[in-house]
Amino acid sequence: MPPSATTTTAWLDDRRAEALAAYEAAPVPTWRRSGFWTTSLRKLALDALETRRYEPSDELPAVLADALGDDEYGALVVQRGASTVHVEVSPELAEHGVIVSSLERAAQEHPELVQEAYMRRLSHAEGKFAAAAAAFWTGGAFVHVPKDVRLDKPIQTAYVIDEGGVAQYAHTLAVVGEHAECSIREYCLGTPIEGQALHAGAFELYAGAGSNVKLAHFHDWGPGEVYDISTKRVEVARDAHVGWVPVHLGGRLIKQQLDLITAEPGSDMRHTGLYFTEGDEHLDLFTTDKHEAGHTTGDTVWKGALTGDSRASYEGLIHIVPNAQESHTYLQTHQMLLSQKAKGDAIPSLIVETDSVSASHGGTVGELDEEQIFYMTSRGIPRSEAVRVLVEGYFEEVVQRLEDPGLEALVRQRIAQKLLAAQDQVNEFIGERA
Amino acid sequence: MSLEIQNLHVRIEEREILHGVDLKVEKGQTHALMGPNGSGKSTLANTIMGNPNYEVTEGRIVFNGEDMTEADPEDRAQAGLFLAFQYPATVPGVSVANFLRLAVNSRREQPMKVKDFGKMLREQVDLLKIDPSFVSRYLNEGFSGGEKKRAEILQLAMLKPQIAVLDETDSGLDIDALRVVSDGVNALSGPDMGSLIITHYTRILNYVRPDFVHIMLDGRVVREGGAELADELEDKGYDFVRAEVEAAAHAS
Repeated sequence: MPPSATTTTAWLDDRRAEALAAYEAAPVPTWRRSGFWTTSLRKLALDALETRRYEPSDELPAVLADALGDDEYGALVVQRGASTVHVEVSPELAEHGVIVSSLERAAQEHPELVQEAYMRRLSHAEGKFAAAAAAFWTGGAFVHVPKDVRLDKPIQTAYVIDEGGVAQYAHTLAVVGEHAECSIREYCLGTPIEGQALHAGAFELYAGAGSNVKLAHFHDWGPGEVYDISTKRVEVARDAHVGWVPVHLGGRLIKQQLDLITAEPGSDMRHTGLYFTEGDEHLDLFTTDKHEAGHTTGDTVWKGALTGDSRASYEGLIHIVPNAQESHTYLQTHQMLLSQKAKGDAIPSLIVETDSVSASHGGTVGELDEEQIFYMTSRGIPRSEAVRVLVEGYFEEVVQRLEDPGLEALVRQRIAQKLLAAQDQVNEFIGERA
Repeated sequence: MSLEIQNLHVRIEEREILHGVDLKVEKGQTHALMGPNGSGKSTLANTIMGNPNYEVTEGRIVFNGEDMTEADPEDRAQAGLFLAFQYPATVPGVSVANFLRLAVNSRREQPMKVKDFGKMLREQVDLLKIDPSFVSRYLNEGFSGGEKKRAEILQLAMLKPQIAVLDETDSGLDIDALRVVSDGVNALSGPDMGSLIITHYTRILNYVRPDFVHIMLDGRVVREGGAELADELEDKGYDFVRAEVEAAAHAS
């Protein structure tokens, strides 16, 4: 696949060429961990997929329009397949000097800004799909919020796959200037496609000194056979705060690495994720809470639930490098099994290479608490409703951390739909144990 | 209107805890079931409410003439039984108000209007002198012992059962909390509600005067009487009752 013909920037062509070489040299990976866990791509017919172009449109893809609802937003960049099909930026944002566009266009119009940050924390050497994304991305999204600018309305980026046979290579680059404040939401959405599709994505956010960024990723590739192999990395500079909420609500096979780096003294982050797998879905998440400087703080909470025959694995690493004294961080991960056949694990781990830090973690993998169910049914609430309310309540802590009523409502609605779809097997599972 | 326990034998896993308990609580009556730790009081309370961990091997639980021995907990609750738990479960992510709305609506054909429910909740909150912000907290999450018991009494007040079983609702309470709980029980007691107050101590009986007192030892009801039995127990203690029961057993 050739790089986009519209990209004329030589430095970027060089980077793509390097990535292409890495892509060609790298084998298709299989991820294994001790225990039962393997993520394999043997069912993905990679060679049968193609990048597909679409014409720009004023109308949003239906699946995105549904997800966005009526919430007001400051800007929106939409990529369908390989093409940027829709860009909106409010005049208010433009007045503040905020740039929101496709990354392709930004590379031409703002080459210095792009070049300065592009893949500063990502590398094409991180495996075949990281190399593929770096070599083949088209469209993409670029967000630049200048120093001291404070935005009320969110900036939104979206990747949509609504046809089978598509390979989508994505790259979002977001740079938030010193003391700026903003909210960024990225949607990864799919329709019930026939056949297979691939999303190989890269996301990078650089939160400048003293900035405050609210970041959400909403993934719902739908019931189709979508494979999502992506890396997302966030760097938090001195005295900046990033609150990041990734949500995974659908996709045949998801393999993502999500890293938060508190890079300078005073960096603070809160990382809160949720996933709910069903059917034949396979989800493999690895997150890193990396402290590269002293006096940095972190707080990570991930919660998941599994129904059907689904598989979900979450591994969360806390990594505190030498000389990052006085770092304080906590990671907890919970997973709830809701069917007999679902299998999962949730593993917190720790690498601490210095002293004078506090780093702790905790994790649970379990089923619904029979004592809680008895308590609710003893009040007259039917068992199936008790189960629904308990699962919704379990996720509520995470959902509220979105701090975004529209998105919260969307996530709650999807959780309720998934529970309803799985109601019979959940009742059977819970019933059998009683 | 009555709850009748007939020759109830109950076991947990392989161990029999109750060895044939008989007890009858009618609407309008206040009963106290007293006994030392491990005598089977909580087992009885949980079995009355249908806790699936407890297995009835013999005997029956009859409520308003209907055999409820095998009924699901939600059916017992909807029929008018209530258990105030000794150790209520935490329900994260679900506020006290939302939980109550679900519970109240579970026994109605049509869900209550939000406005009407709000009014009813405010009334009960006022009556029980509970801080109104309490109802927006997640049920029992981070609650103190006293707050948990108040939440149980608030549920009792909202659900208006015919027969309420209070499992050691008085334990671990300071005097103020104990007063809130006993005021609540007194306010709710009357011709429309019968109660079975399960307690280790006689302390709550200074605030809620029982019509009948039953003493339980080793999974059996060994003495029954009126309020004076509680006074006797206060003076003499459980060891005296035990000695008496053992002496009677030797004599026969």
